[in-house]
Amino acid sequence: MKMLIYGLITGILFGFLLQKGRVLRYDKQMGALRLMDMTIVKFMLSAVLVGMVGVYLLKDMGLAKLSIKPTILGAVVLGSLIFGVGWGVLGYCPGTQAGALGEGRWDALWGILGMILGAAIFAEFYPALKATVYTWGNFGKITLPEVLGVSHWVVIPVFVVASLALFWWFEKKGL
Amino acid sequence: MARAEDKGWSPYLAGALTGVVSTLSVWFVGQYFGASTSFVRFAGALEKLFAPERVQSLEYFVKTPPVIDWQWMFVVGILLGSLIASTTSRSFEWKAVPDMWKRRFGPSISKRAFAAFIGGAIAIFGARLADG
Repeated sequence: MKMLIYGLITGILFGFLLQKGRVLRYDKQMGALRLMDMTIVKFMLSAVLVGMVGVYLLKDMGLAKLSIKPTILGAVVLGSLIFGVGWGVLGYCPGTQAGALGEGRWDALWGILGMILGAAIFAEFYPALKATVYTWGNFGKITLPEVLGVSHWVVIPVFVVASLALFWWFEKKGL
Repeated sequence: MARAEDKGWSPYLAGALTGVVSTLSVWFVGQYFGASTSFVRFAGALEKLFAPERVQSLEYFVKTPPVIDWQWMFVVGILLGSLIASTTSRSFEWKAVPDMWKRRFGPSISKRAFAAFIGGAIAIFGARLADG
């Protein structure tokens, strides 16, 4: 019960910030995919930068555990290509379409219904996928610092500087 | 139509604050942000109504059972948070067809509904496959 309340409160905060950042709308999502408006990339990358530093600090202090998903090239590459096609047609993400509905863009409702159907279809295909795509290029639960054999405090500053350079370029180009 | 007061916050600021919220969530609750698993749970719960044996026999629904959990409430919270932010800033707007869609594909609600439905089904399939 406590977990459910934490989930609701965290979601409300996230939904509030998504709406304030103006990243929920179809026009913004398509603007990013069409490389015309980088608002969403600015929002996402800012969240990643702060979260990356915050979570690794917590990990170093023994206060949190990382949640690492296995790197399976077949599943990740094929899955992301399929996701991209669907995202381009729908114009909302799985989580943010709930927020789009919250600000009155109720065409998100069709996306939500479609996703419920799509999830049921995926469950039907899962056994066949597990025997095929999920076995292609499985590298297990790896991270970039581990693969490079360096401390994460080497990778993180590089990532931060590269992102700030990208932000600077976006602003220069008016994206 | 974009209204004059419909400006919002800097995406850098709203994004950075999101990073703070996500860090606090990992710290105090041990939960990372995610949404697409909730659609599996919802699908399982619906399918259970008319084909309970089918749901029980599918490995994916066993792995991801149809229960309401932290993430499910998180997705509901996103809707509420956006509702609060938009209604208190006069940027809430009932809209059946997005502006950019309308300019390219016209004002038909059913056309948009059809595309969004199919797009949603494809998107979640890919998201689940990539474990995103």
